[in-house]
Amino acid sequence: MNNHLSEDQITEWMLGTRDDFVSRHLATCHACSVAVEKLRSTISCFRDSIHAAAQRDDSYWRKQQHAIREHASARDWYPLHWAWVVAVAMVLITAIFLTRTPNPPQNKATEDADKVLLQEVQRDLAREVPEALAPAVLIAEERNEILTNKDTQQTKSTLKKRREIK
Amino acid sequence: MVQNEQAAVLIPIQEKAGLGMTALDDFTPLVRSHQQRIYRVLLGMVRDSDAAETLTQECFLKAYQRRASFRGEASVGVWLLKIAVNLARDHRRSRLREFWHRLSSSFEDVADLEQRLPDTHASQERVLLGREEVATVWSAVEKLSSQQRAIFILRFVEEMSLEEIAEVTSLKLGTVKTHLFRAVHAVRQRLKGGRAGE
Repeated sequence: MNNHLSEDQITEWMLGTRDDFVSRHLATCHACSVAVEKLRSTISCFRDSIHAAAQRDDSYWRKQQHAIREHASARDWYPLHWAWVVAVAMVLITAIFLTRTPNPPQNKATEDADKVLLQEVQRDLAREVPEALAPAVLIAEERNEILTNKDTQQTKSTLKKRREIK
Repeated sequence: MVQNEQAAVLIPIQEKAGLGMTALDDFTPLVRSHQQRIYRVLLGMVRDSDAAETLTQECFLKAYQRRASFRGEASVGVWLLKIAVNLARDHRRSRLREFWHRLSSSFEDVADLEQRLPDTHASQERVLLGREEVATVWSAVEKLSSQQRAIFILRFVEEMSLEEIAEVTSLKLGTVKTHLFRAVHAVRQRLKGGRAGE
């Protein structure tokens, strides 16, 4: 049977939990006291290694203090800096908005021109004869008129001759 | 006593900040008195001197920005350690950053830490054995969760009481004890494994 301290008992002892039984056992058992002492010494070496690694000369710490101070003062200005950025952006947006407002009259003129063009197209479509043939139509109408006039004159002269014969 | 004095240093800072006066001059002594401890804890947690340096600065900058939220319930040291532990935890969580750090060879510090044993040991053989054991403890600590690592470092490197650790980690005393128990158990198992292999 193993009469030595268990892992849990040694760990509890290392955490500072003091138990009479463990205390008495360590006083009499060489193997367990060596195990506890070894663990304590190893953890102590571990602590020393970190303390030694974290050792820096005064200039290092002063430099760090300076860096922290600089960054802290920069961060003090940080919200103000953003306030400026927002303000400038607002001014720019307003300026852009204002410079774009005169555009509507130009748009209205374009709309009017479009309306005129549409009306012209509709007029062209409503014509019986295409615009290119309009002179031909005029010539034909003149010719018809002349012919009509000739016929009337001939009829009149025929009627006059008949009256004379009578 | 010392902690109360430090807390007293911070309270005027808040008052001055409220009045629009410069708080930065009063903050510098606070940095001076705590920076070494904060750096040491961070170095133990991240095992990278560059990262520990950056995080130490970040810790004090956060403290400076949040100085209005400090109510003096805990000591300034505990308050700063709380910020530092959270920063280290976030740093560890960022695996990508860790990966790039490894690549950029800043992780070479890790090996250095084991060599930083003070030469007060009796024999050269003892020093070598000590370094080997410290390396084993480091590898065991590396495998602990961030929470357990922080608790282990605060207990055995900073020699803080369990109550103080509970304050820093915002955990219950029983939870701190459980984490510490598991951490020590893991380290012991690792040491036993190392010795068995010798």
